[in-house]
Amino acid sequence: MNVAAQLRTRAFPDQGQGRLEVRNVSKSFVVNGAPVEALRDVSLDVAAGEFVVLLGPSGCGKSTLLRLIAGLEPEFRGSISQDGDAIAGTSLDRGIVFQEPRLFPWATVSQNVALGLKNAPLSERAKREAVAAHIALVGLDGFAQAYPHQLSGGMAQRAAIARGLVNRPRLLLLDEPFGALDALTRARLQVELQRIWAHERITMVLVTHDVDEAVLLGDRVIVLAPRPGRVSRIFAISAPRPRSRTDDDLVRIRNDILRALGDGEEDGSGGTPIGGPA
Amino acid sequence: MAGFRRISGRVIVAVLRQLTKLGWLLILPAITLPIWIVGTDRGWLPEQILPCPGDVLHTLRDMIASGELAQHAGYSLRRVALGFAIGAAAGLVVGSAMGLSRRVDDYVRPLFTAIAQVPALAWIPLAMLLLGIGEGLKIVVIAKAAFVPVVMNTSAGIANVPRAFVEVGETFRFTPLQMLRHVVLPGAIPPIFTGLRYGLTHAWIALVSVELLASSEGLGYLLVWGRQMFWLDTVLVAMIVIGVIGFLSDRVLAVVETRLQRWRIDGVR
Repeated sequence: MNVAAQLRTRAFPDQGQGRLEVRNVSKSFVVNGAPVEALRDVSLDVAAGEFVVLLGPSGCGKSTLLRLIAGLEPEFRGSISQDGDAIAGTSLDRGIVFQEPRLFPWATVSQNVALGLKNAPLSERAKREAVAAHIALVGLDGFAQAYPHQLSGGMAQRAAIARGLVNRPRLLLLDEPFGALDALTRARLQVELQRIWAHERITMVLVTHDVDEAVLLGDRVIVLAPRPGRVSRIFAISAPRPRSRTDDDLVRIRNDILRALGDGEEDGSGGTPIGGPA
Repeated sequence: MAGFRRISGRVIVAVLRQLTKLGWLLILPAITLPIWIVGTDRGWLPEQILPCPGDVLHTLRDMIASGELAQHAGYSLRRVALGFAIGAAAGLVVGSAMGLSRRVDDYVRPLFTAIAQVPALAWIPLAMLLLGIGEGLKIVVIAKAAFVPVVMNTSAGIANVPRAFVEVGETFRFTPLQMLRHVVLPGAIPPIFTGLRYGLTHAWIALVSVELLASSEGLGYLLVWGRQMFWLDTVLVAMIVIGVIGFLSDRVLAVVETRLQRWRIDGVR
């Protein structure tokens, strides 16, 4: 068993498995006095340890859904539960990584990660170990004492992932975590995330509008349609891991998804071009 | 060898830059001082109205030697220290409450704005009737002067801490106290310090005003007394000392500010 998994077993021996149930969830916002329906009757199940991608164009409510699961938006209709318990507010058992790293600029990388453990039921020593282990996990050894402004965009997002994982949540939510990065860094971090997911064996729900990213990472890709946001199609991806972008199955599913999104035929856009079937 | 030359070159550039900065700073004195010297020498203005720089320097030296200056400055500094401490502390509390709570802000802001719009000087007549002309009056007027900018900057600074950071705290289940300690206060430190610096400047200005009107000691009193006695050298000495102390106290706060925000300074480099 790896160090991180050992730490988790020790800290939360009888914790759930990270199963997620979203039942008939609807959410409206009031914009300029008029209600806007962001999500209508969304239901989905995520199995423990599964990697699910929420994919869709902007305005499909995918980020809203993620924020509801995180517990950051208390008001919605329907129900969301993790391992059978209805979510009420945020929880240390659900980590979240935002599109911007959101690191506190006044704290070092290690302090930022350590802040995540403020309310964890661990001894000071266990906390120090957990912080170091997670900084190592995301490949930031040697940068623990760096301030966020001294990091590149990719490194900052790695630190944010370490912070999201440091509480050993069973469920990690990722809201377009690589959306603001350059293509090369994004590709590298996608591979990293795949490795971390395999290593941690936790449930991950990732929001993106990048089809390539979705098929590379997801066990299932849930395509949402906009205005109001709702589930339009679900694609299961059974390709073995670790995956390669050029895998035939992935390319085929990618094209299916692009067609489902309605722009597959025109230019095959939506991300970095990948090699066609050999 | 080459490395040494490169380093010494960099040092020379840095020194030159500092000298240019100093040069710009000294332009105005370099123009006015000769005019002052020539003016008094030629008798453009009577000596009773504008004494020559030598006399002012002489008086300054005398007043330092006799301890008179230190005594007056001591009175003034004690008043400012106490008034500023009270005003700034109250300002931090009220400003934080306004920044943290929409409701408190709604209730308090109209009254606060009304109070703030009446200058510290204009409070003196009323305060004099209520408090007499003792130390209480001076402390209250100085505290009020410091209070206003501290409240304005603290409340704005706290209210403007990005929602994104607060959400991070929420996902970590921060208690209100943890949120304050780890998110809100660090995020609001720059504007809070701006408020404190303004507060100190305003406190110092208010001190001189209140000492001008109601005091028998202190630097402001020295001004009035010198004028009444037509000792314009004393008046000028008092003005110089007021300016220098004000400048130095602002610098002290500026240094504390940069210390508290290492992470920002490193960022600039």
